[in-house]
Amino acid sequence: MRRARRLFGLAGLALAVGPADAGSVWVASQQGARAARIERPDGAPAAEVAVAPSPAVVAAGPGGRLYLSHPDGRAITVIAADGATRQWPVPGQPFGLAADPDGRFLYVGDWSGNRVLRLSAATGAVEAEVAVGPDPAGLTLGANGRLYVAEREGRSVGVVDTARMVRIAGIPVGDGPFALAHDPVRGRVYVANVRSNDLAVIDAGALKPVATLPVGASPYGVAVSPDGRRVVVTNQHAGTVSIVDADTLTVAATVPVGRYPEGVAILEGLAYVANWFSDDVSVVDLAARTETGRIPVPEGPRTLVAAQTAPVSAQAGR
Amino acid sequence: MRRVLTSLAILFAAGTALAHGPTPQKIDQTITIRATPDAVWKVVGPFGGIGAWHPDVAKVEATGGDGAGAVRKVTLKRGGTLVEGLDEWKGAERTYSYRMSDPDLDALPVSSYSATLTVTPDGEGAKVEWMGRFYRGDTGNEPPENLSDAAGKEAMNRYFSEGLKGLKAKLESGPQR
Repeated sequence: MRRARRLFGLAGLALAVGPADAGSVWVASQQGARAARIERPDGAPAAEVAVAPSPAVVAAGPGGRLYLSHPDGRAITVIAADGATRQWPVPGQPFGLAADPDGRFLYVGDWSGNRVLRLSAATGAVEAEVAVGPDPAGLTLGANGRLYVAEREGRSVGVVDTARMVRIAGIPVGDGPFALAHDPVRGRVYVANVRSNDLAVIDAGALKPVATLPVGASPYGVAVSPDGRRVVVTNQHAGTVSIVDADTLTVAATVPVGRYPEGVAILEGLAYVANWFSDDVSVVDLAARTETGRIPVPEGPRTLVAAQTAPVSAQAGR
Repeated sequence: MRRVLTSLAILFAAGTALAHGPTPQKIDQTITIRATPDAVWKVVGPFGGIGAWHPDVAKVEATGGDGAGAVRKVTLKRGGTLVEGLDEWKGAERTYSYRMSDPDLDALPVSSYSATLTVTPDGEGAKVEWMGRFYRGDTGNEPPENLSDAAGKEAMNRYFSEGLKGLKAKLESGPQR
């Protein structure tokens, strides 16, 4: 009880100052059933919010809102900018999430249902669905309302036209595509293939494969720097991250991190890596190509998101 | 109602062994052995040599030696075969990492796993850590009891524990080094 009240107090304090600061990273801890907010690369989490059991994926919507999926609990948790939480029931096994930047919709992958649901971001109601390839894992939104879906057992990335909720293409990638990230600067989608140990690069407009490059064992998370120059891939089974140069599409550095690194997010030249087994977040300086710190977080951190704390209007031009 | 039934049908149809599922589980076991790390690694290090120290193992067919991509097919005495692929083998650091290739629920009630075995010095002797990550045998939302998280944890813990105890017994019963 005392712990719960302390956490609540911290959450309220940190969230209240959220919109004015330079941004932060949120991590979803599955066993710990918490979302933790990291504000400084050299300090403990500034806030923790208790949520329902086993959150897997965290995504950020506009206005400081966060979403977490609960595949075992058939639910989505919504955390408002003021720290208030509520839950939406969702059919199937909700896993991958993508929030549209206008704040109208949340897209939810149903892992065992092989479909993507479109929820109203206002009410949580399921408004539409589209069938996709087997075991949809990561989701990411690109330009022109296109949603890219890592179809883990389909060895493909499905592309959904969200205006019509129609799957318009399936792009062949490697074996076991799990995570993906969109780069608006170069118009690419990067895909981590967990079984073939490589990173596929897709032309997001032409919907065609561009290249594939080997990374480490079990690539499980991927993030692109805001300028599009660097791509960071977590190698879950190797305990490393690969820093990829986007111009040459080669691995510029391989940096050791904690045990079983999974999700990754980039904020201000630093990559934050969720080390699922060692229950901490590695901070990797992308210029120096070294791990500069490790932040203990609640048990089982799986995914991270760099929260959009700047006003929505300022986001659009980036 | 029809919609609910359709959803259920999809859910059950997807509950195959290939499905990967949402909530991974940890396993982490260690044992100390009265032998030098080099002596322990000589026994436990060869990827295809698990039959020499794991008491549950009936037979091993291995290809590829200790190179990345090597495969071992481990047939257990109680039935079932684990097909495992080697990701990384570092002799200088006395560690190797591998992962399941194909699930066999008769061998272990899990649908996917990866693991790392590491030998480190511990005083005069050695410490062996065997740790990993796995998913329950049925990754749907309503797993039967024998394919639940609890069943997976129990089976994996037993398999790792029996293996480490077997390794210790083999090394400590031999001539003193």
